[in-house]
Amino acid sequence: MSARLRLAFFSALLVPLVAFPILGLKLVTVGINLEIQGAAPLTWWIIAACTLGMFVWQLLRRRLAAGWASSPNLPRIPAGTGNFLTRPKTQRWGILALALVALVWPFFASRGAVDLATLIMIYVMLGLGLNIVVGLAGLLDLGYVGFYAVGAYTYAMLGEYYGLGFWTCLPIAGAMAALFGFLLGFPVLRLRGDYLAIVTLGFGEIIRILLRNLTEFTGGPNGISGIEKPTLFGLTFDRRAPEGMQTFHEFFGLAYNASNKVIFLYLIALGLVLLTLFTINRLLRMPIGRAWEALREDEIACRALGLNPTLIKLSAFTLGATFAGFAGCLFAARQGLVSPNSFEFIESAIILAIVVLGGMGSQLGVILAAIVMILLPELTREFSEYRMLIFGSLMVLMMIWRPQGLLPMQRPHLELKR
Amino acid sequence: MKNKKHLSRLFVALALSGATSFSLAADTIKIAFAGPATGPLTQYGDMQFNGSKMAVEQINKAGGVDGKQLEGIVYDDACDPKQAVAVANKVVNNEIKFVIGHFCSSATQPAADVYNDEGILMITPSSTNPAITERGYKLVFRTIGLDSDQGPTAANFIADHVKPKNVAIIHDKQQYGEGLATAVKQTLEKRGVKVGMFTAINPGDKDFSSLIAQLKKENPDIVYFGGYHPELGLLLRQSRERGLNVQFMGPEGTGNTALSAIAGAASEGLYVTLPPPYDQDPRNKTLADAFKAANRDPSGPFVFTAYAAVQALAQAIGKVGEDPEEVAEYLHQNSFDTPIGKLAFDAKGDPKDFKFVVYTWHQDGSKTEIK
Amino acid sequence: MSEIYHFFQQLINGLTVGSTYALIAIGYTMVYGIIGMINFAHGDVYMVGSYVAFIAIVGLSMLGLDALPILMAGALIASIVVTSAYGYSIERIAYRPLRNSNRLIPLISAIGMSIFLQNYVMLAQGSGSKAIPNPIPGEFVIGDSAMNGVIVSYIQIVIFSVTFLAMLGLTLFISRSRLGRACRACAEDLKMANLLGIDTNAIISLTFVIGAALAAVAAVLIGMQYGVITPNIGFLAGIKAFTAAVLGGIGSIPGAMLGGLLLGIAEAFGADLFGDQYKDVVAFSLLILVLLFRPSGILGRPEVEKV
Repeated sequence: MSARLRLAFFSALLVPLVAFPILGLKLVTVGINLEIQGAAPLTWWIIAACTLGMFVWQLLRRRLAAGWASSPNLPRIPAGTGNFLTRPKTQRWGILALALVALVWPFFASRGAVDLATLIMIYVMLGLGLNIVVGLAGLLDLGYVGFYAVGAYTYAMLGEYYGLGFWTCLPIAGAMAALFGFLLGFPVLRLRGDYLAIVTLGFGEIIRILLRNLTEFTGGPNGISGIEKPTLFGLTFDRRAPEGMQTFHEFFGLAYNASNKVIFLYLIALGLVLLTLFTINRLLRMPIGRAWEALREDEIACRALGLNPTLIKLSAFTLGATFAGFAGCLFAARQGLVSPNSFEFIESAIILAIVVLGGMGSQLGVILAAIVMILLPELTREFSEYRMLIFGSLMVLMMIWRPQGLLPMQRPHLELKR
Repeated sequence: MKNKKHLSRLFVALALSGATSFSLAADTIKIAFAGPATGPLTQYGDMQFNGSKMAVEQINKAGGVDGKQLEGIVYDDACDPKQAVAVANKVVNNEIKFVIGHFCSSATQPAADVYNDEGILMITPSSTNPAITERGYKLVFRTIGLDSDQGPTAANFIADHVKPKNVAIIHDKQQYGEGLATAVKQTLEKRGVKVGMFTAINPGDKDFSSLIAQLKKENPDIVYFGGYHPELGLLLRQSRERGLNVQFMGPEGTGNTALSAIAGAASEGLYVTLPPPYDQDPRNKTLADAFKAANRDPSGPFVFTAYAAVQALAQAIGKVGEDPEEVAEYLHQNSFDTPIGKLAFDAKGDPKDFKFVVYTWHQDGSKTEIK
Repeated sequence: MSEIYHFFQQLINGLTVGSTYALIAIGYTMVYGIIGMINFAHGDVYMVGSYVAFIAIVGLSMLGLDALPILMAGALIASIVVTSAYGYSIERIAYRPLRNSNRLIPLISAIGMSIFLQNYVMLAQGSGSKAIPNPIPGEFVIGDSAMNGVIVSYIQIVIFSVTFLAMLGLTLFISRSRLGRACRACAEDLKMANLLGIDTNAIISLTFVIGAALAAVAAVLIGMQYGVITPNIGFLAGIKAFTAAVLGGIGSIPGAMLGGLLLGIAEAFGADLFGDQYKDVVAFSLLILVLLFRPSGILGRPEVEKV
C-alpha cells in the first residue's frame, strides 16, 4: 500500500509541476519590460482538480482497472476482420473500389473538396514513394522533401525560363529527382539506421537552403510564381486563352466554369496515383521488390545470398525519389507558386508519419493514412489556434493506439489446417 | 496524465467557440480574416486579426452596414502557401465574398489566384511584395506600402543624411527582407554609394557573433537590415556587447517596442523607416484607447492597416451592396477617411501616396521623426 | 581588425555556440545510447526550460531578489526541476507504451509530441518573442581596442565553465556512481541488465530526466546570453544538437561534447567564408563528410555485425 501511496503522491506532484509554470504564470511584455501575470482562477482550479484526480486515479488504478475488466465489453470486432482487411487480396479490391469512387466523385463535389482531394493525392504519391524507401527497403529517410522540392522546382524553372508545359516537364521532373536520389544516395547508403536518417535530413535542409539562397536561378525566398496549369491536348482551362491556344470550354461549347480547372488537375493527380500504385505493385512481384524486403529483414543474409545491398538500396532510393519528383511537379501546378517555405522538414515528418501510420509497406494503409493526415488539420480548422495542438496530440495517441499502423501489410500466404 | 488538463481547457474553448458561432444571426455579411494563427509568424497574424476584429466590432456597434451585422471569421493559413490555397478554397465553399488577408506575400499570391477565379474581393493589410498587384487582378487591393516604395525612401535617406563611404546591407533571406534589401542596394548604387557588403542571415538564428566579427573587418559607416525585429534586436544587442559601434537602420517590420525589449540600450539611435505611427497619432487616440480597453495591442505595423481595410470595405459595401465587382469598382474610384489617413487605391489596387517616414528610435521604445 | 585577432574571435565565438550545442546534445545521445530512439521532442523540452528560466528570472526580479547569484541559482533550480518533470512525463506518456514496437513508431510519437509542446507553449504564453536584458554584462578585451582585438564577454566565460562542470559531473556520475553503472549496463544490453535485477524502466526514466536537466542548464545559459525566446526555438536547437550528437558518435558522452564544439567552430568559420546564410549548409556538409570516413561518428563505436 505504501508503495502505491508514494507513487500516487509522486504522480500528483508531477501535475502541478508540469502545468503550473507554463499555464499558471504568463510572461507579458509591458512597455519594454517583461512581467508575470497570474492566470485566471479557473486555470488554478483546473490544475488543482487534475492534481487531485491524478492522486485518486493512481491510488485506485488497480481496483478501477479490475472493475473495468468485469464490466460488459463493447461488442468486439471479430478477430477475423482485421486479418481479412489486411489480406493482400482484400487490399487490392479495396484500392479498386476506392479508385472507382474517386473517379466519379469530383463531378458532384465542391471546388474546395476537390482541391483538397488533389492535395491528398499528392501526399498519397509521396507516401507511396517513401513507402518504398522506408516501408519496403527499411531505410530511414528524413530528407524526402528534398526530392519533392527538386521536382517542383524543375517544373517551375523549366516553365519560367524555357516555357515548357506541364506534360513535358512531368517526366523531366521525375528524372531530375531520380538523378538527385542517385547522386545523394550513392555515398551515404553504406551508413546504417539512424546515421542515414540524420544525413538525409541534412541533405533535405541543404537543398532547401540552396533553393533559398540561389536567388538568380530559383527566385530565392520569393520562389517562382505564375506557374501554368496543365492543358488537355493543348486546350487550356483558363477563362481566356493566350495567343495561339484554345480554351476547353470554347472548344466543347460549354459555359466557363472555374471548377473545371480544379477537377482536371484532380483527375491528373488520380491518374498519377493509379500509375504509381500499378508500378509499385508490379515491382513488388519482381526480383527487385523481393530483394528490398529481404534486405529490410536481414542484410547479412542478403549478402550471403549474393545480392548487392548497395545496388538494391540505391534502386529503392532512386525510385522513391522519382515519385517525389512527380508529386512535386503536380504540387507546383496546383499551387501556381513554389517557394522554399513549402519544403521544410515538417513536410518530411508528415510524409513519414503517413507511411508509419498506414502500416509500413501497406499501400491501402498509406492511402488511408494520407487521407487522415491531410484531412485532420483541415477538419480541425474550426478550432483555429488549437488546431496544431490537436494534430500533435492525435499523432501521439494514434501511435499508442495502433502502433502497427492502420492497415499493416501482409504477405500472401497459406495456412495449413491443423 | 499531462494531457488531461489541456483537454479540459480545450473543451472549455471548444464549447465557447461553438456557442459564438451558433449565436450568429443568419443575416450577416461574412468577411474572412486570413493569416497565420499558428506557426512561427503568429504574432504578426495577431496584429492583423486584432485590427480587423476591432473594426468589425466597432462597425457593428454603430449599427452595422445597411442594417446588417458584419461577421469576421478567422482562417488560419500558418503562412504556408499550401494551406493558403486550401483556405482560399474553403472561403469559396463557405460562400464568403470578402477577404481581409493574407499575411505573408507567399501565401497571398497563390490565394489571390483562387479569389480572382471565383470573383472574391481581397484586401491585404500586410503583404508588401510588389508582385501581388502586378498581375492585373481587378479584385485585389492592399492597404500597406510596397517594398519598392520603402526601400528607396531608406536608401535616399542614407545617401542624403548619412553620406557614407561604405554601406553594409544584411537581410534575413525572407521575401520581405530580401525584397527591401535589394531595393535599398539598387537605389544606393544608382546614387553612387558603395555597398561593400551584401549578405544574409538565417531567419530564426540567435547567434550573430560571426557576422559581427565580419562587420568589424568591413567597418562600414551604416548597416541596413532588411527583416523583422527579433533578428535585428539580437544583432544590435550583440553588436553592443562586442564593441561594434556602427549606425544601424531597419524597415517597418523592426519598428516595434519588442525591438527595445530585446536590444535594450543598444536600440538607442537606430534609424527606422515606418509608416506614420497610427496608434500614436493624436487623431487616433480614442481608437487606440478602445484597443487597449478591449485588451488588444494597438502597436505594430499591421493593426491599423487591417482596421482601415475593413473600414473601407464596409463603406463600399454600404454604398453599392454586396457584389464584389461593384465594390471593387467603388474602391477604385473613391477615397476613404481611415485612421491611416486618406486612403485611395490606384489602378493596380495599391494605396496611393503611402508615405514612409524616417525615425530615430529610442531605447524606451519611443521614436522621433527626422525632418 | 587584424587577421589574427579575427581568427581567434571566430574561434571563441564558435566554441561558445558549440558548448551550448553540446549540452543539448547530451539528451539525445544518452537516450539513444540506451533505448536507441531519436527523441525529437528534446529540442522542445529545452524550449520549455527556457520559458521556465525566464519566468523564474522575471519573477525573482519582481520580488526584488535581483542579485545575480540568486537569479542564476533560482533560474537553474526552477528550470531543472520543471524540465525534468517534463522529461519524465513525456517518456511515461508518449514513449513507454511504445517500448517494444518498431523503432519508427516512437520517432513519429516524438514528432507529434514536439508539435504538441510547441503549440501548447504558444497558447499558454503567447506567440510573441519574450526578452530580458543580459544579467551579466561586460567583457574582456584582448588586443588594442574593442574594434581591433578579441572580445570575450563574461557570459561566454560563464557558459564555458558551466558546460565544463556539467560535463565533468556527468562523466563522473556515469563512471563512478552505482546508478551510472546501471546506466552503462542498460546501454550495453537492456535485456541482460533487466535479468540481472536492474530496474530498467527506472534507468530509462533517469536518462530522460538527466537529458532534460542538462537541456535546462543550456536553456538558462543561452537564455541569459541571447535574452530572447519564442515557442519555436526548440526545433532549430534540437536539429543542431542532434547533428552534434551524431557527429561525435551517438551514444557517446565525450563524443557529444566534441561534436558540439566542432560543429560550433565549423559554423563560425563557415559563416566567415561563405556568408551567414550558408552556416547550416556548412554544418550539414561537415556531418556528411565525417560520416563518409567514420560511419559511426568521431568517437562512436563501430557497430558489430552479428549473425
